[in-house]
Amino acid sequence: MNRHLPRTFALFAGLSLVFLYAPILVLCSFSFNGGRLFHRWEGFSFAWYAKAIANEGFRDAAVNTLVVSTAATLLATVLATGAVIGLQRAGGRQQQFATALIGLPLVVPEVVMAIATLIFFSSLRNATGVDLGLGNLVVAHTAFCVPFAMMPIRAALRGVDPSVLTAATDLYASDTATRRHVLIPLLMPGIGSGAALAFMVSFDDFAMSQLVAGPGQTTLPVFIWAQLKRPLTPEINAMSTIMLVVSIALICLSMAVTARGKLTTR
Amino acid sequence: MTKLKLALAGGLSAVALFATANAALAAGELHIFNWGEYTNPALIAKFEKAYDVKVTVDEYDSNETMLAKVRAGHSGYDIVVPGDYAVKIMIEEGLLAETRPNEMPNFKNIEARFVDVYWDAGRNYTTPWTHGLTTFAVNTDAYKGPADSIALLFDPPEELKGRIAMLDDMVSIIHAAERYVGVPRCTSDREELKKVYDALMKAKPYWRTYSVDSINKLVSGEADVAQTWSGSAVVVRQQLASVKFALTKEVMEAFSDNVAVLKDAPNLENAKLFQNFVMDPENAALTSDFAGYANAIKGSAAFFSADLKAAPELNVPADAATEFVPPCSAEVTALYNAMWTELRR
Repeated sequence: MNRHLPRTFALFAGLSLVFLYAPILVLCSFSFNGGRLFHRWEGFSFAWYAKAIANEGFRDAAVNTLVVSTAATLLATVLATGAVIGLQRAGGRQQQFATALIGLPLVVPEVVMAIATLIFFSSLRNATGVDLGLGNLVVAHTAFCVPFAMMPIRAALRGVDPSVLTAATDLYASDTATRRHVLIPLLMPGIGSGAALAFMVSFDDFAMSQLVAGPGQTTLPVFIWAQLKRPLTPEINAMSTIMLVVSIALICLSMAVTARGKLTTR
Repeated sequence: MTKLKLALAGGLSAVALFATANAALAAGELHIFNWGEYTNPALIAKFEKAYDVKVTVDEYDSNETMLAKVRAGHSGYDIVVPGDYAVKIMIEEGLLAETRPNEMPNFKNIEARFVDVYWDAGRNYTTPWTHGLTTFAVNTDAYKGPADSIALLFDPPEELKGRIAMLDDMVSIIHAAERYVGVPRCTSDREELKKVYDALMKAKPYWRTYSVDSINKLVSGEADVAQTWSGSAVVVRQQLASVKFALTKEVMEAFSDNVAVLKDAPNLENAKLFQNFVMDPENAALTSDFAGYANAIKGSAAFFSADLKAAPELNVPADAATEFVPPCSAEVTALYNAMWTELRR
């Protein structure tokens, strides 16, 4: 009986992988389609990549996405690290309350958050004339990225041996020095994963960006979505493939950084 | 003293002169919010060059998305391109600037039947962008029979049952059913509505999908008939000659998209220049060529590409009937919603 278990497991794992990745592979392979139409194979070609890269709307959206995601990731990771370290000292109820408050974007439906943020920024413009431009999107993305970034950092904190921190204090390290030279290096793998998670969440975001983006601030998911009403060409596959490669590359980069962090802390 | 006053007056009038000259030149920016894949980059480049204006184009997927952002206020956009019923809603809600296109120099180019339209009688707010028909397209490789009646959607021959891709569009589908059973649009008569409902329920098993990209299902071979818009059919037919857009003997649904200026537009003068600009025949042709849709500008067809000039989707026979349908009353819409829910269950 037991000997069948790994085989069943392998079968299900295999099926799950096919279910998850086959559509992506099909999408990527059709980006090399020489024909004008989505779904009809007419020979191999890179033409759609050239067309996608030459498409000004796509380029602008790509730049916006990278700027917003990078800025939101940096901000969210710093805030999340600060929140995790700060909350560690707070009492039980305070900690629970603050964690719940920061985690709100995880439970509130995305579209509700998006509409609330849209109304917030439009009231702000109305009342004060303040418009941060692309900064609006950065702030909005940061708000929902923080709870995602916090999760792996909190997990990393749980793994930190308290005696290490006590040792640092015993050796007359100040609070600041303990945090800077002991705690944060120990948390680094978690911070790296948190940043990667925040980046992915921001890079993917559709609902928030669609409603909050102002003129000239369209991001890639919003740009691609707006094309769907028209007959599709393999250009959309090429755009999606480029997006996929960029995000995989960034995840690999962050994993490499995290792995290095782990090595040095050992 | 008088010298000083004179100098001051002179300075002031110089400033005033500069300001008016500036307004006429209208250098600066213009922010356009339009449907996806609907704005010809060549049209934008031409406008930028002619008026020394930096234009941004952002895109939306539905009137509702656009309305949500505009209703919040201070969206930052100057120009939006709402469909006919959306124009009516936006005027009623006071979202549009009364730019009076009917006093603009290029207004003379609008075809007479596009001036007194239900959504903007006399054109005090909007100028035409494109217009098209909503019927269906057929893959003639799979189906050789006639495609001249809406009955093909509601009572298809055996080989097309389950091979029909519909639009995800409640109003279009129910209006199509009304045309099929021969009752007026937006009828509130119970008997007539029952006929419409029965036609929908009978057709339900024949319809494979409901989506905005129904035409793509035709291309991919998932379906052999797709309820779709004339412009989409043009773009696909140019690549796939077997795709034929149906012009039906029943009256056909027409729609129109329009260039409107938002009341809170930051660049009002440039937006007005753009409204006038798109009423030029050559400029309107740039839009039609890109989108595959007809426009309402006289003399524009002369500038169409050869393919578009001959396009059967655009050259609707004179005896074919088309209609723009104003939104139904709230009461009828509630009944529509109920029927739609049953259909999609």
